[in-house]
Amino acid sequence: MATPAEEVQDPIGGVGCSRKRKEDARFIQGRGNYTDDLKLPGTVFGAFVRSPIAHGRVVSVNKERALAHPGVLAVLTADDLEPLKLHWMPTLAGDTQMVLADGKVCFQHQEVAFVIAQDRYVAADAIELVDVEYEELPVIIDGRRSMDADAPVIREDLQGKDSGAHGARVHHNHIFRWDVGDADATDKAFDAAPVTVSEDITYQRVHPCPLETCGCVSDFDKIRGELTVYLTSQAPHVVRTVVSMLSGIPESKVHVIAPDIGGGFGNKVGVYPGYVCAIVGSIVLGRPVKWIESRVENLAATAFARDYHMHGELAADDEGHIQALRVNVIADHGAFDACADPSKYPAGLFSIVTGSYDIPTAFARVDGVYSNKAPGGVAYRCSFRVTEASYLIERMMDVLAQKLGIDPAELRARNLIKVEQFPYSSCLGWEYDSGDYHTALNQALEAVDYKGLRKEQAEKRANGELMGIGVAFFTEIVGAGPTKNCDILGIGMVDSCEIRVHPTGSAIARLGTKSQGQGHETTYAQIIATELGIPSDDIQIEEGDTATAPYGLGTYGSRSTPVGGAAAARAARKVKDKARKIAAAMMEVSPADLEWDTDRFVVKGLPDQSRTIKDIAMAAYQHLPEGLEQGLEAVDYYDPPNFTYPFGAYICVVDIDRFTGEVGIRRFYALDDCGTRINPMIIDGQIHGGLTEALAIALGQELVFDEDGNILTASFMDYFLPTAVETPHWETDFTVTPSPHHPIGAKGVGESPNVGGVSAISNAVIDAFADKGVTHLQMPHTAYAVWKTIHGLGLDKE
Amino acid sequence: MQVKLEKRHTIDASVETAWKVLRDVKVVAECMPGASITEQTGDDQYKGVVSVRVGPVQTSFGGTIDVTSIDEAAHTLALSAKGKDKSGSSSATMQLTASVSAAEGGGCELVGNSEIRVMGKMANFGARMINGVADQLIGQFLDTFSTTVLAAGEGAAAANAASKLTEQPKELNALALAWALVADFFRRLFGSTKET
Repeated sequence: MATPAEEVQDPIGGVGCSRKRKEDARFIQGRGNYTDDLKLPGTVFGAFVRSPIAHGRVVSVNKERALAHPGVLAVLTADDLEPLKLHWMPTLAGDTQMVLADGKVCFQHQEVAFVIAQDRYVAADAIELVDVEYEELPVIIDGRRSMDADAPVIREDLQGKDSGAHGARVHHNHIFRWDVGDADATDKAFDAAPVTVSEDITYQRVHPCPLETCGCVSDFDKIRGELTVYLTSQAPHVVRTVVSMLSGIPESKVHVIAPDIGGGFGNKVGVYPGYVCAIVGSIVLGRPVKWIESRVENLAATAFARDYHMHGELAADDEGHIQALRVNVIADHGAFDACADPSKYPAGLFSIVTGSYDIPTAFARVDGVYSNKAPGGVAYRCSFRVTEASYLIERMMDVLAQKLGIDPAELRARNLIKVEQFPYSSCLGWEYDSGDYHTALNQALEAVDYKGLRKEQAEKRANGELMGIGVAFFTEIVGAGPTKNCDILGIGMVDSCEIRVHPTGSAIARLGTKSQGQGHETTYAQIIATELGIPSDDIQIEEGDTATAPYGLGTYGSRSTPVGGAAAARAARKVKDKARKIAAAMMEVSPADLEWDTDRFVVKGLPDQSRTIKDIAMAAYQHLPEGLEQGLEAVDYYDPPNFTYPFGAYICVVDIDRFTGEVGIRRFYALDDCGTRINPMIIDGQIHGGLTEALAIALGQELVFDEDGNILTASFMDYFLPTAVETPHWETDFTVTPSPHHPIGAKGVGESPNVGGVSAISNAVIDAFADKGVTHLQMPHTAYAVWKTIHGLGLDKE
Repeated sequence: MQVKLEKRHTIDASVETAWKVLRDVKVVAECMPGASITEQTGDDQYKGVVSVRVGPVQTSFGGTIDVTSIDEAAHTLALSAKGKDKSGSSSATMQLTASVSAAEGGGCELVGNSEIRVMGKMANFGARMINGVADQLIGQFLDTFSTTVLAAGEGAAAANAASKLTEQPKELNALALAWALVADFFRRLFGSTKET
């Protein structure tokens, strides 16, 4: 189903138009400019010596043979970085992380030494010449074992510290405990409830796996004392601040540039040892140093996502009205807590776990733990820990439906927050801005003929065939965030836009966000076009260069439209306010006598008396009456009053081969409500991409480790990345419930399909076995895993 | 990555002959394709290398072998071997218990229990193949070992075995090994259904 024909056609190509993406012309012609495309004169290359073991002491590092190799310029170890206090670095989560192994290694492929050589081939050869002696230590891979009494100490640097960045630590491998909600009231509700259900639900460790791996080029100009770093960062300004804090170079002399980025999905938010080593290398050598990750390094060492072991419980009455929710989570953060969350939220926005339902009482506890796996815990195509939360509640709804014998869609309808309850205050402390959930659910059920599907399923079951129907209704919480509760390293999570209108009427806008494929160059221009009447083709959008763009916290957690897009609209309105004054002066009327029409100010009652924005732009650079300053530009920093809450209803139908266990997605219907729709075609593209990544997670992706901590999924031989072959047809649909607090009512959409998609697909697979008493199956639902279920139930007999 | 293997192999030779060969770690090591002992560092300690060739790429694993126990009465030997490849990115350890006993139908039976543990890149990329590879390696080892035992005997069979020994490849050919794995896989796929 294509996007219905409500599309806006207007002469300026503003909000609502399905405009082709401006950036695609260069991407599809191979003219993108990625970090590895950069060729600065005199560039040298860095590569890491990495730990072959998951936990052990570094007895010695001998770099003599490597240094003697022709073409090798330097070999850095922790001892070399220590005098600069750079052998450890702060993480975004308030922990510290080794840049290079300082006495021990805590995960396999951890960075041990950094070899810099004249080209990347010499560097690759030379890393084999660095002799490192290790002494192995016992390993913890399963986060549920991290807090065992006899568990080995992973972080000796923290021994004896009984509190961390987020309060008390109760065990040497404990990072934080985060409680939210009313524990006593929840316990009481459970004690009194007629019906309770519980389930252990693991959201497996996965990797965002962008097509472009991480990398950087660092260039230090000794004469000017200026450092320029080109890197794959979703948040270049944050990197600039961190680099300045770490290096002691004034922030005014640190220049961070994020060129085109080939996908981020959270993997490119943090600061990695590769960046730090390249920077140190360029300062030491006075030459540009390039570091580009291999695929293996990306999968094995840079930020993973999820790894949440959740225990969910629901209490309800006999009709399925939910009375309480209780959740306990072990959050495995790996060897260092390098989670990318707003600083005050160690478990992100997990407290959105009550989902789309009117749940009176809830309590959630998250314990973060260390393990001998790579650090991370980023939001892989979702807002902070929102897919984990959404997956938990959407699975638990099915578990409850099964227990009560109520249809899963019906159970959801009984519990969804009603339209008249918005703005809705959830029992875990969020204020949902707007929603019309029942309309969305009903539209979805009708679109797929839900009753017909259930009838078909009953017939198939009678024939021994396996058909599953997955229903998911999700609510996201995106657009971090209000500075009253959201900051990173003390910097409020605002974002910004600066607009300059040139004399001939075209404009440039610079923003603090950074597109990694979301189409910002197209959509931001559409927002500004509608506000200012300048054709969106004439509006250039620039991001990623900290020397020109205003300060912003970057792009992740669907925050670009809710925060950056709001700043763009508000900056445009500031420009328009001035344009009004100039137009009034030009026509010698009072500004109050003017009204706006598409691209011009018209004198009220005199339609032939008008000045277009183009006329006004030229006038802005000419003689102006006293009290008016030349120029037509504005900057806006936007501190959102609240998050935005996109939602949607997804339905997935699967057929499972009962002999091979293969899951075939027959139909997938996605209804999204992201408020005001800026570009329907881009929204569809975002939903297609997000659903494909949801399929990846639900059916195949997992970072697997053996008992010794060897990663067994370090390449595309073993780590699943779906292609067109595995991707079914995605049907998209929508409703529009604008955000009341966002300047143009938009909510953000890039991550919704992953949040809702994983639940819908997983629910569909499990639903295929629901009549056999199966209440839950762990993801990923690979053919082998599903076959084992089938075989265990004896369903594969002829 | 851990693999546990138990292998039994009947050899047409006496227990004493086989035990004599088994006791000589140097000879035993060289029954492993591509392996050789380079140095004896103590009564029961040795240093050795295993050469691996995959197409044009040749690498070697260097390591140590410790004979941890020898039970003359029970004809049982235990050894522990560990090594890493020259780039330091992979390492492996093996605990092996081997014993010789009289076989029911005459000759002797060699029983080997090994626990192999692989770390680093070899585990990262080879995990799916490691069971099969280990199985193949031990199979090749046992073939060579029994030939060696036979060669230590007397008569025409011994001469025949001795000449066969000189034809053994001097390095572990991973491509040949891979082919053997594939062949083995298809044999299992079509030859028998009881494995699944």
